Amino acid sequence: MKLKKYMTLTRAGIIEALQFRMSFLIMCAGNLLYLIVTYFLWKAIYASVDTDVVNGMTFTDTLIYLVLATALYGFMEMYLVWDIGRNIQSGKIVLDLLKPMPYRRYLFWSYTGSFVTQFFLTFLPTFIIVAFWTHGAIPLGINLVWFAVSVVFAVMINFSIDFIVGTICLYTESIWGINIMKQVVVLLLSGATVPLAFFPDKLRTIVNFLPFQSIYNAPLSLLLNAHPTAETVCTTLGIQLFWAAAMTLISVAFWNRSVRQITVNGG
Amino acid sequence: MKRKGLRFYLRIYLKILAQDIKSKMSYRADFIISTIGMICTNIAGFISFWILFSRFPSINGWGYYESLFLYGFSLVSLTPVQCLFDNNWNLRQNVYSGDFIKYCLRPINLFFYYQSEVFDIKGLGQFVFGLVTLIYAWVKLGLGFSVLMLLKMIVFLLTASLIMIALQNAAAATCFWIQNSFYVLDFVMKFKDYAKYPITIFSPVFRFLFTFIMPVAFIAYYPSLVILRPDAVPVLSWISPLIGIGFFWLSYKFWMHGALKYSGTGS
Repeated sequence: MKLKKYMTLTRAGIIEALQFRMSFLIMCAGNLLYLIVTYFLWKAIYASVDTDVVNGMTFTDTLIYLVLATALYGFMEMYLVWDIGRNIQSGKIVLDLLKPMPYRRYLFWSYTGSFVTQFFLTFLPTFIIVAFWTHGAIPLGINLVWFAVSVVFAVMINFSIDFIVGTICLYTESIWGINIMKQVVVLLLSGATVPLAFFPDKLRTIVNFLPFQSIYNAPLSLLLNAHPTAETVCTTLGIQLFWAAAMTLISVAFWNRSVRQITVNGG
Repeated sequence: MKRKGLRFYLRIYLKILAQDIKSKMSYRADFIISTIGMICTNIAGFISFWILFSRFPSINGWGYYESLFLYGFSLVSLTPVQCLFDNNWNLRQNVYSGDFIKYCLRPINLFFYYQSEVFDIKGLGQFVFGLVTLIYAWVKLGLGFSVLMLLKMIVFLLTASLIMIALQNAAAATCFWIQNSFYVLDFVMKFKDYAKYPITIFSPVFRFLFTFIMPVAFIAYYPSLVILRPDAVPVLSWISPLIGIGFFWLSYKFWMHGALKYSGTGS
């Protein structure tokens, strides 16, 4: 029963997430507002050009891409940096370090609960609404499988990046600044604000060598591609696998080095 | 009780400000990192405009420099709310923990005392960035310069600031009635991200909504029209200073209403 201890953490996370119903409603209202603004903004932007297709993306493609990027963001964003940072400042981290499970793994499994709830409460409804609203512009076929696999890698990469940034808090004692920098870099370079297809060529080449595009751009481009060649799927997933492994290794190594640094004043 | 004059309040403000800055300076690394983080956010906003306009000629007839003008305008007008009213973010915890009662027992204006306690220096980084963007766009657009224009600019920047301050006050004050009001504040503060787009991109329904129900359009669009398009200034732009003052007064009354009914937690 090795998995049982992890599932307990998942269950606790689900119960915790369901506690805050009011905040969930307001969050939905916020997302809805964002979607409205995005819709009109890109409609106005596409109205300024004569062609329907810009850099291989139609207006509908762009809209689906951005809406689902937001839904993915809502589902993957986990305030991990804040949690680690606050635990360090308050000294509570000592208790977590004493648990019979590595800290990184403990955190990951604690968050799985919120992954599950967010997936069913925000991502899935958004996906269904978008699929109907755009009259089947989202191809429903084998690409859904690749998308699902890709999202799992994306979650792993995103978690590792957050964990690395959280570890930096051990040294800096600054949470807000570190977190906002991470958020800005990830959202911009992953294509969540402006789809990567619109980036100037040079910038896009650079971004392709960074791990961030594996978080949002990779799963979304797999989803929107109805008939991907075997090569495209393999490269995209391969790059993601590489980054997931690399970032995991880096984050574990960095944490193991840094944990000796912890100084807790009382607590 | 004798009413205290403006000079009295100014003197008190400077004293409290000095204490706050001293305490901030003991966390110098945090201050530096937060300032860099703030500027990163602004640069990211700038870059996304740059990427957009490298592919598309305009947003609903608004060119690159006009959009930058709007963006710079919104950044500068957001400075007061960031620097002077940042303590609103802590209101919820103060009310929840009972610490808020300490503000109720001072012989000076409650709202003033509460807000004066925190001065957020990192907002100044945003101010400088916004100002540079604004001046850059101003020069590139060849708007010319006169003392009257400068005066108009200052009046309308202050107008936009007042609206944003009013929104934040009202959102923060909801914590006197509902728990977990963080999401209300977070929701309202997202408005500022939408202020950088011209209101004309929306359909009439949403134009109405963003003008009268959620006054996003007053944060940058209506006030900046006075400078940007002086030939066709709508009435709403001219009366926006009055709206700003009115909104601020209402939000102050709302805030105070909540604060005066506060009865502490008994601790």
